[in-house]
Amino acid sequence: MNKNIIEKLQILADAAKYDVSCASSGVNKKNTGKIGSSQASGICHTWASDGRCVSLLKILLSNDCAYDCEYCVNRLSNDVRRASFTPEEVAELTIEFYRRNYIEGLFLSSAVEKNPNHTMEKIVKTLLILRNQYGFSGYIHVKAIPGADKILIHQAGELADRMSVNIELPTEAGLKLLAPQKTMKKLFLPMDQIKQEIGRSKYELARYRHAKSFVPAGQSTQMIVGATKESDMDMINITDQLYKKFSLKRVYFSAYVPVNQGGNLPAISSTTAPMLREHRLYQADWLLRFYKFKANELLDQSNPNFDKDFDPKMMWALRNIKEFPKEINKVSVNELLRIPGIGMISARRILKQRKIRNITFDDLKKMGVVVKRARFFITCGGKYYGEKNLDPENIKNILNPVPPYEQLSLKI
Amino acid sequence: MVYLHDGTFNGLLTCVYEHYYLEKANGIYPENRFEMELLEQEVHIATDDVKAKKVYDAIWNKISDEAMKNVYYTFLSNDYKKDCYILKYLELGFKMGYKVDNDHTNKDVINVHKLSSKVSKERHRLLGLLRFQEVGDVLYAPLTPDHDLIELLADHFADRMRNEKFIIHDKKRNKAVVYNKKEWMITDFTYENEIDVSEKERDFQEMWKGYFEHIGIKERKNLVLQRQFVPTRYRKNIVEFNK
Ligand code: SF4
Repeated sequence: MNKNIIEKLQILADAAKYDVSCASSGVNKKNTGKIGSSQASGICHTWASDGRCVSLLKILLSNDCAYDCEYCVNRLSNDVRRASFTPEEVAELTIEFYRRNYIEGLFLSSAVEKNPNHTMEKIVKTLLILRNQYGFSGYIHVKAIPGADKILIHQAGELADRMSVNIELPTEAGLKLLAPQKTMKKLFLPMDQIKQEIGRSKYELARYRHAKSFVPAGQSTQMIVGATKESDMDMINITDQLYKKFSLKRVYFSAYVPVNQGGNLPAISSTTAPMLREHRLYQADWLLRFYKFKANELLDQSNPNFDKDFDPKMMWALRNIKEFPKEINKVSVNELLRIPGIGMISARRILKQRKIRNITFDDLKKMGVVVKRARFFITCGGKYYGEKNLDPENIKNILNPVPPYEQLSLKI
Repeated sequence: MVYLHDGTFNGLLTCVYEHYYLEKANGIYPENRFEMELLEQEVHIATDDVKAKKVYDAIWNKISDEAMKNVYYTFLSNDYKKDCYILKYLELGFKMGYKVDNDHTNKDVINVHKLSSKVSKERHRLLGLLRFQEVGDVLYAPLTPDHDLIELLADHFADRMRNEKFIIHDKKRNKAVVYNKKEWMITDFTYENEIDVSEKERDFQEMWKGYFEHIGIKERKNLVLQRQFVPTRYRKNIVEFNK
């Protein structure tokens, strides 16, 4: 293998690294070919210098883009080094890295090289080599390139474990501003096709022995946070809709990293906040998917954005203080999950423990409850361990006291 | 009275058996690690597979498969008192049945759960952090794990790499999992020589290192976080953390 490949690999890794939608797996799969298996829990193989988990070989087939999206390093009008892999090269790299246990699988994306069909054909060819020639049965996530023929997306779906179409910007207006060659409709088309085909393959797999699976690990998407003016409420509402309309497995959020300077983009200096926003959106997404919260419970017109100091669940609890305190030894699991400081694991433990004996306040910590936060919202055997009155402002102050000098300056 | 065993799992189970049928023990230790205690009388218990099997079956039948896993994982841990904790946990388990694992406030349960989850976490971490190098026609992975757990890695790789020969070498304990494309076994193993790395192997190592460097986002550099996930003690066996 020559210098050329080493260099291409670096260019195409650089070009892919801002895509975050690459948690591995979600499926358990034994080795049904010659090499490769998947674990539902997901395996991180290393952690990059920014502390992010590296699970899949995440690369672009090409960064030589015919489009010109303003937020993207690979845009046509940018002056960056360009490179393209052949399908054979990507397949070999994947297998050799996999054998050495560097990676859990492949996450293959691409800029629009020439046109959508040409790009999608190359992606399909890569998968064919991996699956058929090498007998690779490990995890593969590929992008569906919007605008590519249905048949190509269908072929890719039969070979991949997961597919995704990135929305990137959550509103039509945002797209118009920063990604003029894209429209919501064009993005939703492949998402809808993938959804339909997943449904159909599930139906057929249950009935016919030789039915083919279609992206068994489901589809996902990604949105950029902080490149346009959308509020958190806009983001959460569309996230909620995406889960419902396209039965997505995951929506990922990516705090905007200013790689380009442009009139329509936020100034480079004003982009530290997106990291915190990204974090809050993930917390909220979690509440939607696992804690049975509804989007409109988390944010509304009068509170369109998440709080800087408190997580979304705490903010919900403080706004709905009249629902508290809840008795640890009595309330249902769904109610337990709404108590700040109690998560999935501790809620489950509480349920089991209650069957053995009543839970005391001292037990809570041993069960993994964050007592510091939970104590305001619960009773244990009828006794309350919080402050004298259930006043949201007071609770906020205790949890996150405002330094005195700040208070002063606010009063002036 | 403390019981000492030969360090095998059956040895431990035999001690548990004798605790019930011979005399109560205040503790159980593997003999090679036991540090003499002044006030305790030590008894060496000879491993007896029949007695061990009885305890083994009793854990399955009277407690649960989850308890079995907890006991075994705890046994593999590096904690000095691990076998003492197992004894306490089993005593409680034989009284409470499968419910023992629901009692998250009991310290005897907590002790075992803690160690079992430490082993389980290290296993999960190593499934990712283990690195093979191609040496001749064998894939070789050296490790220095905190706990004695390479056998817990074997099934995973034997399935995943079913057409490859591989060796997973615990350098601390001089043992290895050896897989020959059909089945794996645990064997005593030492290998101290410098590994003769082929050109092809070096190329892929270089490519991976290059990739690894480029995948991090510069603007978000966070080496402290990185160190939490990949502690320094693991790094010498991980190619991308070595020059
Ligand atoms: S199409 Fe994709 S790769 Fe091309 S400029 Fe837009 S976001 Fe970047």
